[in-house]
Order: sequence, then C-alpha cells, then structure tokens
Amino acid sequence: MTSSAINAPADAAPEPPPLSDRLRQTVLPRLVTGLILLLMWEIAVRLLAPPFVARPSSVVAIAPKVLTDPKFLAATGSTLLAVAEGLVISLILGTLTGLAIGRSRIAEKALLQHVNFFYAMPMIVILPLFSLWFGYSAATRIATIIFASIFAIVMNVADGARAVPGEYLEVARSFRAQRLRMLFEIVLPSSMPYLLAGVRLAGGRALIGAVVSEFFLSIGGLGYYILYNSRSYHHSEAFVGVLLLAAFGVGFEVLVGWCTRRFMPWYRRGAN
Amino acid sequence: MPFILLRRHAPFLLSLIGGLAIWEIAGRMTSAAFMVPFSVTLVRLWQLVVHGNFIAQFLESAELFITGFVLALAVGAPLGMLLARVRAVRVGIEPYLMLIYATPMVALIPFILSMMGFGFAPKVLVVFLFGVFPVIYNTVEGARSIKPELIEVARSFRSGEWPLWREVMLPYTLPYLMTGVRQAIGRSLVGMIAAEFFLSSTGLGQLIMGASQDFDTAGVFATIFVIGLIGVGLMRLGLEIERRFARWRQ
Repeated sequence: MTSSAINAPADAAPEPPPLSDRLRQTVLPRLVTGLILLLMWEIAVRLLAPPFVARPSSVVAIAPKVLTDPKFLAATGSTLLAVAEGLVISLILGTLTGLAIGRSRIAEKALLQHVNFFYAMPMIVILPLFSLWFGYSAATRIATIIFASIFAIVMNVADGARAVPGEYLEVARSFRAQRLRMLFEIVLPSSMPYLLAGVRLAGGRALIGAVVSEFFLSIGGLGYYILYNSRSYHHSEAFVGVLLLAAFGVGFEVLVGWCTRRFMPWYRRGAN
Repeated sequence: MPFILLRRHAPFLLSLIGGLAIWEIAGRMTSAAFMVPFSVTLVRLWQLVVHGNFIAQFLESAELFITGFVLALAVGAPLGMLLARVRAVRVGIEPYLMLIYATPMVALIPFILSMMGFGFAPKVLVVFLFGVFPVIYNTVEGARSIKPELIEVARSFRSGEWPLWREVMLPYTLPYLMTGVRQAIGRSLVGMIAAEFFLSSTGLGQLIMGASQDFDTAGVFATIFVIGLIGVGLMRLGLEIERRFARWRQ
C-alpha cells in the first residue's frame, strides 16, 4: 500500500498525497471493485446455480446465526488451538534445526537436502501415513500441522543464520563469548526477520494442514464443519467458515507484518 | 574429471547415504505396519511398477496436473497483465487478490465436490484454483514495479498500446510472472494431490489412499517417496525458470 504512491500517475506529487486524494485514489476503487465482485457473484449464482449454492446475500443472512452457534465456535476453537500448538512446536524445533544448519557446516551438509526434500513435498501426501501411525485422531492433525509448517521455518532460519554479519561474531569471539551464548544472543536476534518471514509462510501452511487433516480424518474443527455443511447442502453456513479461515489467514499475515515493522523497522518489506 | 566430480559431490552423496541408512535402520527396528526400510520400499515400488498400475496412475496424475497448471498459466498471466495495465482496476483488485491468495484453497474443495460431483473437470478446477492466484498475484506485483516514467517516456515518443506492451509491460512483468510460475508449480502439485484425495480418487493420490486402507505401509512409503522426488524435481525446475528470468530484474 505504501508503494502505491510510487506508482501514482505522473501528475501526482512525489510527497505522500493528502488524505482526500488517497481516499479518491485507493479506497474508492477498492470499494467499487468489491461491490462489483459481490454483485457479479450474486447475479451469477442466482441465474446459473441451484438455490443451495452460497451467494453474498445468503451468506450475510446466515452469518449471525453461524457465528453465535456454540458448535461452530467450538469447532473454530479446536482448529485454532491445534494450529497454535503445532506452530509453537514447529517454531521451537524448526528454529533450533535452522540455527544448526545455518551455523554448522556439518549440520548443513548432513541435513539441508533432506529438509529440502520434505519442504518440496506436497505436505498433504503425508496424511495417509500419519493416519496409519497415529490413528484417526487429533494427534494426526497436530502431526500434520507440524509437518506442514516446520520446514518453512527451518529453511528461513537457516538462511537468516547464514546471513549474520561476520563482524558481530568476530567481536563476540574476541570477547571470548561462549558458542552457545553467541548462537542465542547474536545469531538468533540477527536472523529474526528471516524467522518472521518463515513464520508467515508456516502460518498459512499450518492452516492448510489443519483443514486438510480435518477433511481426511473427520475430526471436529472448522475444516470438518465446512465439509459437513457443504455435504448436506448448507453452503452458506459452510462459506461462513471459509470466510473465517480467510480472515485468519490474512489476520496472521497482517500480525506478522506488523511485528516486523514494529520490532524491526530497519528491515524493509520485500527483501525476502 | 570423474574424481573431481566425486569429490565435489561427496558431501551430498554422504548425506544421502546417511539419510537412507537411518531410514533403513529405523525401518528394520520398527514393526512393518509402522514403517518399512528403504530397501523394502524400493522393492515394493518395483512391484508396483511392473505388476501394478503405477505407471498408468502416474500418467493420470500428470495429465491432471498439466491440464490444470497450463490453464492456470493461460488464464492467470494475461488476466494479471490486463488487471495491472489499468491503474484504477489494479488498485481496486489488489486487496481482494491478497485475500484470496491468503485463503486456504483446500477449503473450497467440498463446495466443488457438491456442485460438480466426481469426474475430471472438478479436479482440473481444483488444480487450476491452486495455481492461478499465485500467477495473477505476482503478475500484478510485477506491473506495480514498472516505473511510471518508463510508460511516460514511451508515451511521449507516441508509442502505441501494442509496442508499449511489447517493450515495457512484458519485459518488466515477466520475471515476476516467473516467480508466480514457480509458486504455482508447487501449489498445483498440492492441488493435484488434494483433488485426488477428496474428489474422485485417481492417480497417485488413489495409490496412497488405497495402500493406506489396505495397511500396505510399503506401498504408502513407495508412493510418498516418488511424490517427494517429483516435488523436488518440480521445485528445481521452478527455481531454474525463475533464475533464468531474474537477470531482467533490477
């Protein structure tokens, strides 16, 4: 959004334009586009699709009921809790592994290509195997979430740990700092932006992992709520769930972006 | 020469052998229902290829992936450029693209299932949906990166619309488009597996599902292993494509 000023038409001043101009140039087109998209969707569904298919008016009409439904809230809570748990585990294990790969030649040589293999693998193929291992249970969901998210963190932290300026480490070494302290007090803080970029990726992947595993395992959660309701032709109800998922996805991105700007203002967006 | 090659790749080979050895030992120490060693996986894979229908299933998956991915590219790239060319449209559509981009596409699969049922078309739609948004999103990003002065200069030399596209728009958005292509390759692969799991079961997805339902752990491992290799191969390909065009980027 900040960079849209750069691309402003030639007659615009190079300084940030006043609020009224910004309203006219960004907010208005956005609102209009949004309305047009919603209208197109509404009309297309009314004309072409059977009545059970979700359209904006039906979704809005049903949303208050769904959002206050305790079952829906319980499902949402269960999914979010699983995602949070999985992400925390991924974060801890992934950061440690990433630091090792980034700072130790041996660890890099031994582990990197295996991490790469799992990172490139479409994560959901692991589901049938995990369901053999852990059964059709919430444990499989957690395992899938971790599998989906951890490698993004490992890769990014490793990149970050590799990019630590050598002078920092030299100074620490000349003060005879211990290796472990250097790792956690210099390398880790200095690779924070990379870590956050990894967390951003991992969050999206974790959410997908949770939804897919609920589809696959039929265990309670937002994903299963969507599956169940769309199977019984309650598309509008199910779509509220999709919107909530989208909101979580965007919300997480915004949160991580905000953290980056708030705590690492020197780190410019788009560098990773 | 081969000796130098060997030395250069020695760490890679060692780590590969190490990983496979750990797999082999872990597989031998645990029960066969839980995990099978690498050797057994290879044998099972061989059986599947020779006696089973592995090749046919593989080709079925490939057909789905290629159809969906090519469609995503054919629709996404021109659409992205068109959206990007008109500034008001680009500014207007950006937040919605971001929203869709951040939405887990898998959540739409049940809707597609209940509206379109089983068959090839809904699965292609899934792969398409997974792949098309990275392409559009990155193309629009690319068009955003074009300096307005460039277009201005082109205009002041009385450039028409077509030369403007050929000389300014295309070369500047192409590297970004290729980033989109790389992401789309990865996502379409996930879409392919998801479609094969949750819509009508075919291809490699069906092989895994079937094997897991039969408690054929070796079959599950063999298929996952192959899909992992495909994933790595496609990711390399994507990075290579992206790198080839990255030189254009300033």
